[in-house]
Amino acid sequence: MPEPTIDKILVSILGRALKAITDEMSLTMEKTTRSPILCEAKDFVTGLYDAEGRMLEQTENLPILSFSLGPVCEFIAKKFAGRVYPGDVFFHNDVFTLGNQNNDVACFKPIFHGETLVAWAAAKGHMADIGGNVRGGYNPNATEVWQEALRIPAVKVYERGELREDVWDLIFANIRLDIVAEDMRAEIGACTVGERGLLALIDKYGLDVFERHKLALFDAARSMIEAEIRAIPNGEYKGEATIYFDGKNPGSTYQIRVTVRVEDERVTFDYTDTDPQTNGFVNGTYTSSASATVLTFLQMVNPDIPHNHGMIQPLEIVIPEGTVLNAAYPAATTFGNHLCPPNADAIIRALAPVVPERVTAGWNNLLCSLSTGDHPRRDDAYVDILFMGLKGGSGATCDTDGYDHIGMIDASGGILDQDYEMFEQMTPHRLLLHEYLTDSAGAGQYRGGLGVETRYVVGSDDTQIVTFGDGDVEPAFGLFGGGDGTLNRIELRLPDGEVRVPTSKDLLTGIPKGTLYVQTAGGGGGYGSPHERPAALVHKEVRDGVTSPEAAREQYGVAIDPDTLELDEATTAELRG
Amino acid sequence: MSYRIGIDVGGTFTDLFLWSGDSDAETFKVLSTPQDPSLGVLAGLRAIAESRGISTAELAAQTSLIVHGTTVTTNAALTRGGARTGLVTTAGVRDALEMRRGIRERQYDNRYTNVVPLVPRRLRLAVPGRLDCTGAEIEPLSLEEVRAAARTFRAEGIDAVAICFMHAYADGRHEQAVAEVLREELPDAWLSISSEVMPTIRFYERVSTTVLNAYIGPVLRDYLASLLSRLSETGFGGILLIMQSNGGVALPEVVRSRPATTLLSGPAAGPRAAAAYAGALDHEDCLLVDMGGTSFDASLVRGGSAALSSDGEIDRLRIALPMLEIATIGAGGGSIGWIDAGGLLRMGPASAGALPGPACYGRGGTLPACTDADLVLGYLDPAAFAGGSLPLDLDKSRAAIAEHVADPLGLSVDEAAAGMYAVINTNMAFGVREVTIKRGLDPREFPMVVAGGAGGLHACAIAAELEIPTLIVPRTASTLCATGMLLSDLQHDFVRSCIGPLASIDPTVLAGMVDSMSGEGARQLTLEGAESIEHHVALDLRYLKQYHEVTVPIDAAAVVSGDLEAVAAAFHAAHDRLYGYDLADAGTGLELINVRVRSVGTTERPRLPRLEHGGPDASAARTGERRAWVPDRSRFESVPVYDGHALLAGGVIAGPALIERTDTTIFVSARYAATVDPLGSIVLQVREGGHA
Repeated sequence: MPEPTIDKILVSILGRALKAITDEMSLTMEKTTRSPILCEAKDFVTGLYDAEGRMLEQTENLPILSFSLGPVCEFIAKKFAGRVYPGDVFFHNDVFTLGNQNNDVACFKPIFHGETLVAWAAAKGHMADIGGNVRGGYNPNATEVWQEALRIPAVKVYERGELREDVWDLIFANIRLDIVAEDMRAEIGACTVGERGLLALIDKYGLDVFERHKLALFDAARSMIEAEIRAIPNGEYKGEATIYFDGKNPGSTYQIRVTVRVEDERVTFDYTDTDPQTNGFVNGTYTSSASATVLTFLQMVNPDIPHNHGMIQPLEIVIPEGTVLNAAYPAATTFGNHLCPPNADAIIRALAPVVPERVTAGWNNLLCSLSTGDHPRRDDAYVDILFMGLKGGSGATCDTDGYDHIGMIDASGGILDQDYEMFEQMTPHRLLLHEYLTDSAGAGQYRGGLGVETRYVVGSDDTQIVTFGDGDVEPAFGLFGGGDGTLNRIELRLPDGEVRVPTSKDLLTGIPKGTLYVQTAGGGGGYGSPHERPAALVHKEVRDGVTSPEAAREQYGVAIDPDTLELDEATTAELRG
Repeated sequence: MSYRIGIDVGGTFTDLFLWSGDSDAETFKVLSTPQDPSLGVLAGLRAIAESRGISTAELAAQTSLIVHGTTVTTNAALTRGGARTGLVTTAGVRDALEMRRGIRERQYDNRYTNVVPLVPRRLRLAVPGRLDCTGAEIEPLSLEEVRAAARTFRAEGIDAVAICFMHAYADGRHEQAVAEVLREELPDAWLSISSEVMPTIRFYERVSTTVLNAYIGPVLRDYLASLLSRLSETGFGGILLIMQSNGGVALPEVVRSRPATTLLSGPAAGPRAAAAYAGALDHEDCLLVDMGGTSFDASLVRGGSAALSSDGEIDRLRIALPMLEIATIGAGGGSIGWIDAGGLLRMGPASAGALPGPACYGRGGTLPACTDADLVLGYLDPAAFAGGSLPLDLDKSRAAIAEHVADPLGLSVDEAAAGMYAVINTNMAFGVREVTIKRGLDPREFPMVVAGGAGGLHACAIAAELEIPTLIVPRTASTLCATGMLLSDLQHDFVRSCIGPLASIDPTVLAGMVDSMSGEGARQLTLEGAESIEHHVALDLRYLKQYHEVTVPIDAAAVVSGDLEAVAAAFHAAHDRLYGYDLADAGTGLELINVRVRSVGTTERPRLPRLEHGGPDASAARTGERRAWVPDRSRFESVPVYDGHALLAGGVIAGPALIERTDTTIFVSARYAATVDPLGSIVLQVREGGHA
C-alpha cells in the first residue's frame, strides 16, 4: 500500500482552524461568567485534546492553568475507559490526580464522531469558592487538602446528555457561592462550542484525513521547538531561587533548585535537589509547577510556535514527590500557582549564562490583596481583588526594556486592572493614587518594567483584608550589570495612627473606615550596565518623573539639574568615565 | 441637472460616486494625495467634470450635495501625526492612559512593547479637586493648579488639551471650570472635554477616547477648513456632509466638535451600500467583506444597518464611541507567502504594499504575494490588470513562488500557488468568523456582499469555507463606500451614565435624560436639514454583580412612561439570546449603567440605477477562455471568461467562470452559479449539492 499522503497546506489550515475554535471557547467563557476573576481578570483557559488527551490547541489567558489540562484529560480517558459516552460531562479539580489548584475547576466533554471518541473539549477557570474552611479558598492555616477545598477527582455530572442531579447537588451543596454553579455552566457551554467546532472541521475533511494531519501538525510544532533547543549548547545548567515565608513560620525559606539538562533537541528540567514540602499551604502540585516550567521556557523561544502536543514533547520535567514543588498527599497546596515566579527565577538564572539573548531579568513577584465587607451605599456585601495594585514590572531583555505594570510572569499581562470608577461604584473605598512608581525599575542599559503605587481609603468599618503572595523580601533581580527592581509592600495606616504591615500571607480583620491602604508593586530587573543606556533616554525619563535626578546620577551616571531638569552633558561624561 | 457626489478618500485611491438621477450613476477613481487630501478631492471633481464635458465650476454649481469620507484622522492616529496634546486630570490617576489597564496582548513575547501614549507623562498634569461617584464634591478644584498647568502647556507649545476627571460622567462642573480657565489662558488651544465627548462611566475608556479626540481635533479642523475653502473656490454652494464612524453623516461643524467620530469615516459607509444591494434581493441582513491591497475588513449589516459597537480600538488605542464593528486582518493582494520554522506555509501579515508590490508588478518586489498566486492560478489577465494600466509579469510571479514557497515545500509552482490561495482564504474566513460566530451568529444565514479590488477573486473560496450559500458582488464593488455615502442618513449618538439598581431609578430622571439627549439630536438634525427625525433609545443593563453590560434597545415610550417591567423583559430576552440563559425567574435585580439615544434624520435617498434586462443567455458577453485553477475540483481547467461590462440583467453564468471588469475580476468557482440582478450585481448562488 502506498504511504498515505500529507497535504502540507491542509496542515496549515488545520492549525489555524483549531486555534479559531479554542478562541471561540474562550470568548464564551469571558462573556458568560459572573465572577470578576473570570470575566474581568480572565483567569481561565480553554483547549481541545485528542482521544488520548494529547493537546490539539489551547487558548491560554492565564498560562499557569494551561498545562495540566492535557494530563488530566489523559487521566480521565484512562480511568473511564469503556465508560465514556456521547453527552457526558466531567468535572475535575483534584490536585492529587494532576489538577493544578483546588480552585481551578475543569470541565471535560468527550467529542464523538459517530460512535468513535475522537477528542475532548475542556475549559478550566478559577472558581470564586470551592468549599473548605475559608471563603474563596486561600487558607494560610490549612495543613491538609480538606481544609482547603472540596476534592473532585473526576466525576460525571452529565451522562449521555442527562444531568446527574444527585452528583450536581452534592458538589454545589459544598460550595458557598451560587455563582460558582453558573460559572461551571459557562464552562460546559464553552466545551459545547468546542465540540461543535471540532466536529464541523472533522466532517469537512473526514476523520482519516484529520487524524493523519493532526500528527503532522504535532510534528511541525515539535520540529520548531526542537530547532530552538538545538540552538542551546548541550550541558547541565543549575539555577536556584528562594520561596519566602510558608504562612506559618516567620522567616522561613525554601529553596527551589533546578538542573536544566540540554541534550541535542531535548531538554530536561530536574528539580530533584529542591527543598522538601512545607507543613502549610505554600506547596506546589506537579502540574502547577510543570506549567510554570513550560510557560517560562516558552517565553525563551519563538512565540509563534503552535501550542499543541508536539510543542511539549521534547520537554521533560522531573519533580520528585515530597518536594515543595510537588507536595505529597494530603498536603495543602492552594498557594502552588504562586510558586511560579521563584520557579521561573531559578530557570532564568540557570539559562542566562548560556542563552543571554533569550532570557529576561527577574520579574516582579505577585503580592495581592482582597478586601471584603459591607457596602453601605448599596446596602450589600462586596468582594474586591485589587488587581490594579498587584501588577509590577517585568524583567528587561538584551534589547528591550521590561514591560511596565504587567504583573506576575504566570499571567504575563493577561490580567487587567479593574476600572477606577467602577471600583468606587462597586466598593465603598475611594481611590487616591494609582501611578507608576518612581525609581522602581531595575536600572540597566535596558531597564526593568515599572512598578506601581496604589492608595485607597477604606470606606466601611469592620473590613477584612486577605493578603497572599511574595516579593516583599527579595526584589526582582538584574542581569549582566543591570540593577534589581524594588520590593512589594502593603501597609495599613489606621485612623488612630497605628500602622499595620501584613505578612505576605495574612488575614486582617476589623479594619476601620478611614484607614489608608498603601501598596507598592515593585519594578522588574534591569539588563546590562546602566551606563550604556543613552543619556537622552534617561533624561526623558527624569522629565517624565519615572526616574529621579538622584537615581539618574547614582545608577545611570547621568547628571540632571534637579531644579531645571536640564541634562549636564559634561558632568555625565565625567560620571560615566 | 442636480448632482450628488459621494467621495471616499482612501490611502491609495480617492473613489467618487456620481448620482444624477434614477438611471444614471457613475464611479470614478483618482489617486489620493496624502499630503493634502483635498487636492485629490478636487482632482476627482475635475475627472467627473471632464467626463461630462463641463467645467469644474459648472459641475460645482450643479451639485447640491457632497458626502465625504476621510482618512485624515485615522492617518493622524496611525502615524502619530496629531496635535501636540496635553492632559489635565484628577490627581493620582494620570498614568491610566499609558497603562491601558496593564495588558500585554502577546503574553509569550518579551519583546512586545507597550503603545507609546499620545500624551507623554510630563504633559499629563494632575490637578487637585475631586467628586465622588455620585457627583458630589469631596474636594474643591484648585484653579491655581489649573493656571499652573496652562503655563506649562504654553511653554511646551501645546495645541490641544484633553480634560478628563474622575466621575465627570456624573457631574462635569470641574471639567467645565478647567475649560473656562484654559480658554482664558490658552485661547488658541483645541479643547476636548470628557463630559462632553463621552459622559459615561469607566475612566480608562473615557480618558483614552477624550485624548484621542484632542489629538486629532486640530487635524480635522484644519483639513475641513482647507476642504471648504477649495470647494468654495470652485463655486460649490450645496451642502457638504461628513461621514462618521457610526455610519451616519453630519455637518462639518458637528463633527469638528467631536472629531473622534470620524476615525472610521471611510469604511463606515460600506454597510449602507451593502444593505442597499442586498435589500434589492430581499435580504435585510448581510455580511460585508472588503479585500484591498493590504487588509481585509469584515462587517455586518442587520436589519438594514451596520452593526455598531463601543468596544473599538485603533492601533491599540481604545476608543469607546459607537462605531462600525469591523474585523480587520492583514490579508490582501499584497500579503506575502512564507514558510515558518516548522515548515508550515503562512500568508501575511507582512505585505508588499504598493511599492515594491507583488513580484508581478515588476517594481523590484521579489517576495511572492497573494496577487502573484492569483496570477499563476490564471485568475488575472496579465495584460488587462487595472484596466491595462499595469501589465503583470507572470515569470516574476513564478520565480518568486518557486524560490520562497514551492522549492522549500517540495511542491510545483502551481501547487504552491494553490496553497497560498487556500491559506489566505482560510485567514479571511477567520475574519468573517470574528464578526459573526464571535457574536453567536451563524455566517451561513447571511448573504456575503463582496467589495474591494481583490474581493471577487477570493470570495467564493471564503464563502465555501464558511458554507455561505449566497454572494453578491455589487456593480460598484470597488468603490462601495463612496456609493454608501450618498445612501446614509444623518445620525448622532448620545450616551450618559445613570448608575444604580434599575428598581431604584427615578423614572422621571431617566425620562429627563432621554428628553435632553433627543432635544440635542433634534437641534442638530434640524440644522442639517433633516426631513424626518426619529430617536432610538437603548439602555446598558446587567444583572447585579455582573461586570459586562448588554445594550438593549428599548421602546422610548416605555422609558418615558416609567414602565420598568417592559425594560426588564427586553433585557432578559437580550441576555438569553446572547448568552443562552436569563434569570427572569430567579429574582436577580438589574443594574442600569448607561442611557443611549440615537437620533436619525432622513433626507431623500438616491435610487441606485438599474441595468437593462437581457434574459438568461449571457453568451454575448463571453470573450474567450483561460486556463485557471478550480479549487473545488483541485485542478486547472479551461475556464470561460466574460466581459462584466457587457452583461445584462437576468444573465446566468455557471461556474467555473471568470467575469472581468476594469476594476475587479470575479472568479465563479465550480460549486456556484452567477446571475446578474436588476442593479447589475453579480449574484453567486451555491448550486445544488454544492457544499456537500
